[in-house]
Amino acid sequence: MAINEIDIERPASLTAASSWQRFVRTATPYLFISPFFLGFVIFQLLPIGFSVFLSMAEWNGMSAIKFVGLDNFLTLAKDGRFWNALRVSTIITVVCTLVGTAGSTILAVLLERVEDRLASLLRVIFFLPSVTSVVVITYVWKQLYSTDYGFFNDVLVWLRFPPHNWLAEPSLALTALIVMLIWAGLGWDALIITAGLRAIPDELYDAGKVDGTSGWTEFWYITLPMLRPTLLFVLVTGVIFLWGLFAQPQLLTNGGPMRQTQTIALYLYDSGFQYHKFGYASTIAVVLSILMFVSSYLNFRFVKYEVE
Amino acid sequence: MLRRRKILARGIGGFLALFALLYLVPYIWMVSVSLKPDAEIFSTKIFPKNPTLEQYRRLFFGYEFKGITLEVNFPAYYKNTVIITVISLVLVLFADALAAYGFAKFEFRGKTVLFWLMIGTMMLPIYATLIPSFWLFSKLKMINTYQALILPGIVDAYGIFLLKQYMETIPGEIIDAAKVDGAGAFRRFWQIVVPLSRPALGTLAVFRFLFVWNDYLWPLVIIRKEAMYTLTIGIANMQQRQGMVVWGSQMAASVLATLPVILLVLLMQRQFLRGLTTGAFKA
Repeated sequence: MAINEIDIERPASLTAASSWQRFVRTATPYLFISPFFLGFVIFQLLPIGFSVFLSMAEWNGMSAIKFVGLDNFLTLAKDGRFWNALRVSTIITVVCTLVGTAGSTILAVLLERVEDRLASLLRVIFFLPSVTSVVVITYVWKQLYSTDYGFFNDVLVWLRFPPHNWLAEPSLALTALIVMLIWAGLGWDALIITAGLRAIPDELYDAGKVDGTSGWTEFWYITLPMLRPTLLFVLVTGVIFLWGLFAQPQLLTNGGPMRQTQTIALYLYDSGFQYHKFGYASTIAVVLSILMFVSSYLNFRFVKYEVE
Repeated sequence: MLRRRKILARGIGGFLALFALLYLVPYIWMVSVSLKPDAEIFSTKIFPKNPTLEQYRRLFFGYEFKGITLEVNFPAYYKNTVIITVISLVLVLFADALAAYGFAKFEFRGKTVLFWLMIGTMMLPIYATLIPSFWLFSKLKMINTYQALILPGIVDAYGIFLLKQYMETIPGEIIDAAKVDGAGAFRRFWQIVVPLSRPALGTLAVFRFLFVWNDYLWPLVIIRKEAMYTLTIGIANMQQRQGMVVWGSQMAASVLATLPVILLVLLMQRQFLRGLTTGAFKA
């Protein structure tokens, strides 16, 4: 891969090639990667630069852009709504990754013990939310949570419990959102963990049998340690996904009640596209991107991919 | 011992089957509400007493409401979504395959830097580019266009990474053999590398399909005109426009938007599973 290996041995006929042919040969790889890099420059590099610039400006989308230096960042540091959004996003991220990963690990381990035909049917069922549009998922759940006609209240009333206004009570809305998110992510994580489980060599379990391990010690001392890289991968990708959470809280509660479900990404969207504070929204975008970039970097750093 | 294992497997199977049934409640709800007549939408019975296709009919022929017909542009949402999905797939797969081939089978100056730059874009969330991209397309007068929906998506580092991994496994001798026959670089790519990469391209196609079909944030930002709505934006706006009355139709639209995706995943299960485990990582 080193740069000085470019000129690999060439047949004699080629060394005599005209300079035009040599030019074509040098240019070929660049031509192959150029469509990507053209798009990269237009839709990634320049916008990112512009984002960083806007994060230090005041702009409502129409007026002239006014450069204000680090003012936006100082405002952000003192903005109670931003800290609230950071709190909401952190709670969602921590609870969903921990409960979700634990749940999907248990599910994956149990699925491995079930007879094959039933297991593959069950896997498809648990995987459905992973391919269903978040808009569809969220609106179905919105109906399930509905106060007067929703499924959950029907069940509660049937069990003689008082019904709740799930999405309008400040103490319940965030929980309602988190339950939906865990439900939706379970199958995806379980599938990745299943792949991890199958990569554990049988010999380890055989060796354990010789030492007389039972199901529980087997899980605790063989399965779990061997599953560590997989679990780390699931955790970190979950964290990245959840930091950027937008559609689900927007559609389910639009951040309410009393901003109890307003995530960072939702606050960003509202600041920009609802209140036309594009400069300030870019400041939030920069902070959020740094958060997510660091999470991704940790992912690459600690989970060893087969890159080479 | 073996017997005990079998009983245990049965027990776990039964437990998980019950859990799966509970897990499916949102889907059962979606389908059964979509089949309810208006009179039953707000009843506590989960299954409709007099199932009807009325909610589906309305998506295509509009609502009869006090003598007026309220139109629902559902067929347009569907058409828009199919068009952008198909065009995106073709463009992305082509651009990805080109770049992946460039990275997999050539040595050139700056390769390492460019490769890591590309990997770097994988780590950046859409929020890093959202506002400037919106600004760019409004300057280009491309708000409410297919171009705006499609173009930003062709920057797909993940796909290039996946394809590059695969193309590196294609033996160089096969490609070199064509070189001897006098095939140019592009012909070698198109006639040898692309056909041989078909499994990886299939996997990528499934993932891109899901992504474009279900995408919400970018269409939300860039599409303001109802005739240009995609399925996700259309379904989201059905609620806001007409209040609770649309519960039934919204579920019918959801069923129709979800069906192709489920069919695709069932048909392409193998490509799909491979994709999920190809981000392969080792201890």
